[in-house]
Amino acid sequence: MTHALRHWKHRILIALTVIGPGIITAFADNDAAGVATYSISAATFGYKILIIIIPMIIVLGVTQEIGARLAIVAQKGLGDLIRERMGIRIAIAMYTLLFLVNMAIVIQNIGGIKEALLLFGISPIILPLIVGGLFLLVVSTRYRTIERFFFLLILFYSAYILSAWQAQPDWGAALRALIVPQGQYDRNFLFTSIAVIGATVTAWGQFFISSYAKDKRLTMEHLTYNRLEVYLGAFLTNAFSFFLMVAVSATLFVNGITITGASDAATAMVPFAGALAGILFGAGLLTAGLLGCIIVPLTTAYAFSEFFGYSGSLDEDFQKSRLFYTTLLIQLALGTCIVLLPGVSLFNITLAANFANGMILPVLFYFLYRFANNERIMGEHKNTPMQNWLLLLSGACITAGSLVVLIQQVQSLL
Amino acid sequence: MLYFAELSGKQVVNGGKTVGSLWDLLFLATGQPLVTKMNIRTQDGMISVPLAGISLTERAITLPQVYAATVVSNNELSVREHLLDQQIIDIKGNKVVRVNDVAIQEKPYPVVAGVDVGVLGIARWMGVEQFVNSVLARIGKNAKGNFLSWENIQPVELSRGKVMLKQEETKLTKLPPEDLADHLERLSVRNLTKILDLLPSEYEADVVQNLNVSHQKNLFRTIKPRHAAQILSLIDHDEAADILLSLPLRKREAIIKLLSEESRTSVSYLMSVSTTDIGNAMTNEYFQADPEETAGNVRRRIKARTESFSSFSYVYVVNKRSELTGVFDLHELILQDMDTRVYRFMTPNVIAASLTTPVSLALKKMAKYKIHTLPVTDEKRHILGVVMMEDLVESIQEKLV
Repeated sequence: MTHALRHWKHRILIALTVIGPGIITAFADNDAAGVATYSISAATFGYKILIIIIPMIIVLGVTQEIGARLAIVAQKGLGDLIRERMGIRIAIAMYTLLFLVNMAIVIQNIGGIKEALLLFGISPIILPLIVGGLFLLVVSTRYRTIERFFFLLILFYSAYILSAWQAQPDWGAALRALIVPQGQYDRNFLFTSIAVIGATVTAWGQFFISSYAKDKRLTMEHLTYNRLEVYLGAFLTNAFSFFLMVAVSATLFVNGITITGASDAATAMVPFAGALAGILFGAGLLTAGLLGCIIVPLTTAYAFSEFFGYSGSLDEDFQKSRLFYTTLLIQLALGTCIVLLPGVSLFNITLAANFANGMILPVLFYFLYRFANNERIMGEHKNTPMQNWLLLLSGACITAGSLVVLIQQVQSLL
Repeated sequence: MLYFAELSGKQVVNGGKTVGSLWDLLFLATGQPLVTKMNIRTQDGMISVPLAGISLTERAITLPQVYAATVVSNNELSVREHLLDQQIIDIKGNKVVRVNDVAIQEKPYPVVAGVDVGVLGIARWMGVEQFVNSVLARIGKNAKGNFLSWENIQPVELSRGKVMLKQEETKLTKLPPEDLADHLERLSVRNLTKILDLLPSEYEADVVQNLNVSHQKNLFRTIKPRHAAQILSLIDHDEAADILLSLPLRKREAIIKLLSEESRTSVSYLMSVSTTDIGNAMTNEYFQADPEETAGNVRRRIKARTESFSSFSYVYVVNKRSELTGVFDLHELILQDMDTRVYRFMTPNVIAASLTTPVSLALKKMAKYKIHTLPVTDEKRHILGVVMMEDLVESIQEKLV
């Protein structure tokens, strides 16, 4: 009995150790740009759009699991593997695109924070202070503290549950819409669905989960639990997306209100669900912006350190991981300056980000496929045929999603 | 010296016909990493061909008329797979840097000379090395890479898939310059110059200072005056004077013109007094104090001014007429209270040499009084410089050789 107890205690401890990479990356995928996409799609299609939640859980879970498994088995980040296996020229092309995409997403997230501040009637002039504070927090604390901060931010996502509650939706209809198709699906709906999946699964997310899992020093002992944690993360983040979409559907879609962004959603739902719902929705947007604002530039910082082979870890100080923290600082400073510049079009930046993301994703999925099937890297942990099919299907979906978003945005420009 | 980036993809021909292109080089992971074979990418797949007797420097690599593809041995490693783009770690497993290119020394037989871990290695692969060099030259900067010699890599770990340093250092420039100099002395001047071009300026100067005299002489005869002046301005002035004296007059003058005013004055002076053995071994790296100065002030000045000294043990005391009147060593200085005046604890009877003192006599004086640095003075007891025991011994050794 004592032995059995000890065994379970050991297993629970290991399970607790692995918690982090899967959940944090999945939630960060619902960044400010993600919140905007979900809001617009729910305002346009109502509960009908909820049918994509389950496919999103699968696509996100499958792709993130492969990224994390690669890092744990090879003890290398995706950036390391691209440089070592694909050579310097391909690596430079990938990292250049990644930097541009991430820079645009950092701007989107800082823009999201600015919108949330305006919602609460706070002047965006304090934006440099907030971003500077985030940088100092990352530099001055170590991995465990930063991870706790991430989890604290994730807790604030529950604002969407409360917001949905305030909106008094038809819960039965919402839950039914998760599995039972509602009404007719036109081409526009299909396009939007793919675009929502494309906004959730990102190139940076693939880099981040592998680097972050490696930085957490996860080993083969953690592999099984990590897999569970990644799927749990994919489930939880999409559960919150569900509440967000329900809140918007029950207020804006029902009343025929159209919106162009996440802050519009927060303002527009006030007359139908009360001021508290709007505030909670704004709090969710602020949280998404803050989380994305740290994690996306961290991805670039990890990738650049891996490319040059320099030390880059949240557990190291500025002196030891200079390139890592400098890359983080440059992106945050540049992003803040651009967002504060008057007359800068965030729409054009989003357009550029989606274009570059669409270019990276097919290549990235090809790399994931190659590495995860390479016996010399993965040994007995290489992909199963089922995982390969799911990866290829997810890759095709996400690539199509990114292209669809791009086409839509270009069309709206014309 | 050749870089793998320059060799990769090079056309391989036989009897005027293209066989394929060079894809990889195979080498032995031993103390002397001999490059044994090359992998050629042909239309029918990859073949390995022994490298013996084949030159890699030509525009196209020409195979002998009769050649045979061979199999790869177990003890052969691949440049592409085991070195290029790989992570370098130190003995504690800390990440240091990544291999951006691999340097191959082609003579007398091809060996892996080391790895380029600098930005120029990346520029070479992207085909923009010359562009980067010319841009830097325009803004008055010298393109410097980072070269890590084979001597610093553990061959055993390499065959286990790890590029591990022998040292714990995380900075390549902290590798002892003496070790690198020893390794470089085995190379031709051309290869030596190529490696020096990759090193950061100060580290390069340290390495040059540790080269033997004949290598120094050959090196400075080959490199451009501007580059020579840059190195000389960073090394000890007595060493710089010795090197300059070994060069032809025209080259010497061209280099001296490019030195900073301070270096030019000091080096010219040392050259002018180098007509005697003592003058030749003399350096002007010495520190002097005033008899009325306090011990505390001397200590402060020492801290501020002697950082670049290669050796420092004695403080010479000179009076208002610049005459040598006393001496004390650092131990005596440390024992004093901060406000004690120098004249209270200095030794007034200073053992000195003149420019015409024979080296053997100077050494005898040093041995008798147990001192290892001797001031050299003129007839008015003005200090001209100092000679150190090791420099005098070296001058005797050179004569014996």
